[in-house]
Formats: sequence, C-alpha cells, structure tokens
Amino acid sequence: MAEVNYVVEALKFMVLGMGVVFLFLFILVKVVELQAKLIAKYFPENTPQTPAVPAGNVTEDENRRVAAIIAAVTEFRNKKS
Amino acid sequence: MKLKQIFISLLFAMVALTSMSYATEHEDASEVSSEKKVYQPKSITELGVSFWETTGIKAIFDTDDGEMSADPAGESKEHVMSAFESSFGRIIMILIVFTLFYLAIAKGFEPLLLIPIAFGGLLANIPLAHMAGPEGMLGVIYNMGIANEFFPLLIFMGVGAMTDFGPLLANPKTALLGGAAQFGIFGSLVGAVALGFDLQDASAISIIGGADGPTSIFIANRLAPDMLGAIAVAAYSYMALVPVIQPPIMRALTTKEERQIKMGVQRRVHRLEKLIFPIIVLMLSIMVLPESTPLIGAFAFGNFAKESGVVDRLSDTMQNSLINTVTIFLGLGVGSKLAADKFLVLESLGIMIIGLLAFSAGTAMGVIMAKIMNKFSKEPINPLIGAAGVSAVPMSARVVSKVGSEEKPGNVLLMHAMGPNVAGVIGSAVAAGVLLSIFK
Repeated sequence: MAEVNYVVEALKFMVLGMGVVFLFLFILVKVVELQAKLIAKYFPENTPQTPAVPAGNVTEDENRRVAAIIAAVTEFRNKKS
Repeated sequence: MKLKQIFISLLFAMVALTSMSYATEHEDASEVSSEKKVYQPKSITELGVSFWETTGIKAIFDTDDGEMSADPAGESKEHVMSAFESSFGRIIMILIVFTLFYLAIAKGFEPLLLIPIAFGGLLANIPLAHMAGPEGMLGVIYNMGIANEFFPLLIFMGVGAMTDFGPLLANPKTALLGGAAQFGIFGSLVGAVALGFDLQDASAISIIGGADGPTSIFIANRLAPDMLGAIAVAAYSYMALVPVIQPPIMRALTTKEERQIKMGVQRRVHRLEKLIFPIIVLMLSIMVLPESTPLIGAFAFGNFAKESGVVDRLSDTMQNSLINTVTIFLGLGVGSKLAADKFLVLESLGIMIIGLLAFSAGTAMGVIMAKIMNKFSKEPINPLIGAAGVSAVPMSARVVSKVGSEEKPGNVLLMHAMGPNVAGVIGSAVAAGVLLSIFK
C-alpha cells in the first residue's frame, strides 16, 4: 500500500491498449477476408468490360486528328513568337 | 508619410500628457468609469486618460493592472493574470503566432489548420477584448463545438467521406501495420509518466502519437482540457512535419534491399466490400469498444454515405463545404487556447517533446512490424509501408511512396501504403477509446 508506481501503471495501459488495438484490427482483417470470399462467391463481379478496341480505320482517323491538332498548336506558337 | 508622422507625434503627445497626469488623475478616472448612469462632464485630459486606460499599449506595459484571463468556461476558470502573462507573455505568443503563419504560408505546413489556429491565437492574446471569454467570439465558438467535442466528430465524418478503403480491402493484412504504429501512443504514454505528468494528462498528450488531429482534440478535451491548445498545435505541427521526421527513421531501420522490394499489383475490390466495410468496423467497435463509437461512428457514417453511391450530394457536402466550415471553427476555437496564460507553461515544452517522441516511436514500430511481416508473408511486403501506419492521411503514405521511388525509380508504393494509413485512422480511434475507457 506504499506509493503507486505510475510508470508501471502506464506500462499496464500499454499492454491493454496495444492488445485491444491489435485484437480489433486482427478481427477486422479476418472478417474482411471472410467477407471478400463470400462476396466473390455469391456476387461474382461481371467481368470488367475492357473498352472495345477501336477498329483500325478509327485509330487512323484518331492519328490524323492528333496530327492536325499538333500542327495547329505549332502554327499558333510560331505565330505568337 | 506626413500623416504617419502626425499620427506618431500625436501618440507621443498623448503618452506624455497622460504620464504627467496619470498619478494624480488615476483615482478619478477609475471612478468615472465605474459610474455609468450619470454622465459627468470631463475635461479633455480626463477623456484622454480614460482612453489611455483602454489602449492595448497600456494594457501590455502596465504589468499589474489586475486584468483577468479569459476562459470559455466562464469566471470559475479565470484568474488575475500575472505580470508576465499580461505583458511579455502576450508578446511572445504573438511572435509564436507569426512563426506559425510563416510555417503555414512559406513552408506549406498544414496551412488549412495552422492558419485558423494561429489567427485564433492572435485574437486570443488581445488584451482587454476578452475574445476567449464566454461572451467573446472565440469563447462562443469554443463552447459551441469544442467543449462538447462536436467539431472533431464532424471533421471525422468528412475524413470518412474522403477515405477510400479500397487499398486496405485489397490487402487486409496491412491493417496490422496501422495497429503497430499505435505503439507511438502507448510508448510515449510511459515516457510522459516518467517525465512526471500524471496518468490522465500523459494519456492526453501521448495521443499525439496517433498523428490524428481530430482524435487528439477529442481526447485532450476529455482528459486534459487545459492543455488542449498545446496538444492540438503539437499534433498538427508534427503532422505537417511528417516529410521531415519520418524518412530518417525509415532509412535507419531498413536495409537498401528491403527498401527496394517491389509489391505486387493489388486485386480489384468489389463495390459491395467497400459498402459493407464501414458497417463491419462500426459493428466491431460496438461490440469491443463502445467508448470509441463517437469517433468511429462519425467516420463510418461519412464513409458509408460515400460508398453507398446514392447520396453524392451529402457525401460531397461532408468532404467539402461542411469540413471546410468546421475547420474554420475548429481552428479558431483551438486558437483560443493559445492565450499566453494557457500556452506559456512548462507543460507545453514537455508536450512538444513527448509529441515528437510519440511520432517517431509510432513510425519506428510500424516499420519494424512490416519487417517482421515481410519475413513471414508469402507475398513480399516493403517495410517502408509500415511507416504509413501513423494515421496522418494521406501525407505519410505519400512520404513512403516518395522514399520508395527514390530507392528504386518506378516502384510505386502509394496504394500499398494507403492500406496501413487508413487502418492507422481506425487504430488510433480504437486506442483513443481504450484511453477513454480507462478514465471513465
């Protein structure tokens, strides 16, 4: 019943606190893993739709447009300077 | 220029006049000011004197004028300011405030919070105005949302609405790193007690190690309201200093090979997982630690509103206009605790030191935990991401990513570091709940 050693008290707090934090996060991890499995099983995601690859002539068209834009920009810059 | 000279010479004339008549007229002047109902004719000298009595210059230089300190809680907490508090203390505090302005503006240290806090501090140190008193602007703000812990919760709601738990859900194990970093809190708790703080104050201070502004304010307000100003300033300054404090610790504790570890591509996360996650967190905290539910509840609400995808208007308000409004109030309210009589105490120095210690310990423990996990895990884990376990979102994750890509260009750790980072927010809220449960 002598004086209380507060450092020892603080160490106890540390054990309790770290214990609870880890326990909490550990349960969280487990629940989240379980959840991921359940969701993958019962709600399979529709295969992500990769945007359809544009047909050849479209890309060509795109290339031409890009070329035109670049040309316009250089023209504009030249004029400015 | 001329106008200025005239003004200054006028001021000097006034000072000279009053110092001559001060000794003789002093008693009369106080009589006049106490008698309010009947107006008595005053000579121009008397008017000058009574005006001089109300100037800030006099209030600062007259050291024993018996001015009362201001406290939002009202007269019960107020006391007659000492000579130091009402004179040099104010000047020192105003200089500190200017330093904070400089750090926020020139160095970009958390300007969103430091500017309102520092300006609040400036206002709180104005003599005679009693802005931090129960009727002053800062006092009203303080009583409106800080004394009752409302503003930190609103901030947490906004943070919840801004947080994407995708990276954490993709690799749940990294959540444990966010737990390890909470060692900063409990380790520095021991340090603070060893330095001589009592257990309750030590707990309030050590929460700085959680690197979470709103949580720090929430806890400080419950456990040590007198230290709120110093704790909040320490928490936000160290959060701003994350890019300075963390990298040396991270480098010291890891080898070059470890820092160069590449982590795999994260899996896609189902929308439902993100939607259910805040509910799971809340359910867990209801079962394990209802003390922490104010923080986690607000956080989960914000996140749920975001992930539900049907209340974009609400989640947009939470992450923008609401959090901005509350930040202004929170900053000014916290600033009211930067008054000289509250901030310039020896404890503030201790708080700054322990805060730094807490922050470093959290970072170190996160890195060490990540090293251990790397040893036992099938997929490689770069130990650097452990440093992101302190919850300064998203600053520490960015720092980790930066250090990682310096070691090995093209190694992007940002998303991997976001996992422990957001787990750190939950971790520090849980740690806060534990501390509250101890002092219930």
